[in-house]
Amino acid sequence: MTTIVDERRLALKGTLSESMGSAVPFLVVLAFWFAMTHGPWALEPLLLPPPESVLAALWRLVREPFAGSTLAQHILSSVNRWGTGFLVAVAFGVPFGIAVAWNHTFRSAVKPIFEVIRYIPPFAWIPIMIVWFGASTAAQAAVVFVACVPPLVLNTERGIVGIDRVLYQASRNLGARTGATLWRVAVPTALPTIVTGMRIALSNGWMALMAAELIVGKQGLGYLVIAGQQNGNTSVIIVGMVVIGLVGVAADWLIRGFSHRLTAWRRGIEAHA
Amino acid sequence: MTAETSSPALVRHAALLRRRDLLRRLRFSLVTVAGALAFVLLWHLVSQIDGVSRFMLPPPIDVWNAFLRLSTRPYLGGTLWEHTRDSISLALIGWVLAGVIGLPLGVMVGWSEKISRMVMPLFNLIRPIPPIAWIPIVIIWLGVGTTARAFVVFLSAWVPFVLNSAEAVRTVDQVLVRAGRTLGARNRQILTRIVLPTAMPMLVTGSRIALGNAWMTLIAAELLAASSGLGFIALNARRTFDTDVILMAMGVIGLFGAGISFALRGVERLIAPWSAATVRKTA
Repeated sequence: MTTIVDERRLALKGTLSESMGSAVPFLVVLAFWFAMTHGPWALEPLLLPPPESVLAALWRLVREPFAGSTLAQHILSSVNRWGTGFLVAVAFGVPFGIAVAWNHTFRSAVKPIFEVIRYIPPFAWIPIMIVWFGASTAAQAAVVFVACVPPLVLNTERGIVGIDRVLYQASRNLGARTGATLWRVAVPTALPTIVTGMRIALSNGWMALMAAELIVGKQGLGYLVIAGQQNGNTSVIIVGMVVIGLVGVAADWLIRGFSHRLTAWRRGIEAHA
Repeated sequence: MTAETSSPALVRHAALLRRRDLLRRLRFSLVTVAGALAFVLLWHLVSQIDGVSRFMLPPPIDVWNAFLRLSTRPYLGGTLWEHTRDSISLALIGWVLAGVIGLPLGVMVGWSEKISRMVMPLFNLIRPIPPIAWIPIVIIWLGVGTTARAFVVFLSAWVPFVLNSAEAVRTVDQVLVRAGRTLGARNRQILTRIVLPTAMPMLVTGSRIALGNAWMTLIAAELLAASSGLGFIALNARRTFDTDVILMAMGVIGLFGAGISFALRGVERLIAPWSAATVRKTA
């Protein structure tokens, strides 16, 4: 027990000194940025605004609406479409992946078409989604859906196909029917791979949503950034970009925590194996 | 099973199994063909429903005709092949630039702890921002020209170059490096004669992922800031209600994406035939 605590403390100490070390390059860049935007050689604020005006822009965005909404409203509306597209994609992609892995005939019929469509990047779907759904929230959620489906299907399939056949044979031997084998053996065992698919899907979906918001829409972080460009407000663009990055990281962090909890039962098994 | 132990009965049995396997495979490929035909037929039938206009979903034959039409006659300033050429050359320019900068940077990051400590925090800071989100500020910096698109493509492609080459160099078996040192190799020789050849499969994998990213991002960049290219015609066909052109452009984009991927997998097998096996083993 004590060794575990010691290891933890050691790891904590390691990360602390590491983050202290990694603060140095940030400070260097910040100083460089400051130097480039002050003094007689200063860049035009349109090209690169000084750090303090980016901070001021952030503060303004938090309190006052820009391009129709405050920062929080832009974030919420983006996250809302992202979540909608992602959840619909999970509801479709995971069962689809299971069916593809489970039934050879279904796989032969559907997988080749899926493989062809998969190579169309999600961004290329934006124009047709606008035709189908109008320049609306639904079009953006549909683009997220298209971006999320392939990693979900592929990872679910891979997870289920990769399961040790002995597990199936054992469950059959113990009298499990197909349904029970699927839900009690196959899906739980494939879960970590499926969750990996979800992580990839989330990050793909976020990227696709940002592209969709740059092209159509009246709200959202992508729209905020493009509105900043149209108004010649580079500080707003930079704030928007940073927030886009942060929201993406936060979501990945959440789903990692979720998967950690979801697959907690595996760790004991793996440790003993 | 060796030749001595195989009796005629066993040989016959093996032939039977082979034939059964062949029949099985034949049946599944028939299912595949039937599936594809059903897909096209379904598409056609849906497009014939009364409420569905040609503007919403043109039948497959219209899309094929759009392909034939645009192959010879210019549309929005160029034929299909001129637009395709513009797209591909830009994706390649951005990709090569990313490789020229990203590969050596990644190798240095993987090689030296010190450089890694300096570069990686910044790299990890920039990486979560999707390359697409750079487009507005890049438009301010570089305008809406070719340079802006090449830069955005560069941003999307250099990440896999850096990450894969750093990982490849870092994970080279230390026994090989120590053996090299024992035999009197200098740092430079270890790098060029041991580390780089060992890391080659992952370097190639990195460049394949990078080219996929480049192609994808280029399409997005063409939706926003372009006057030619496949993404450009896809978005602008919407304004003139040429939905058949949109679908056709999507198809061509997908085909070239798949073509790029297959071509680079071939290169991967050519340069590092052992890589496919290792990747499969670890995956």
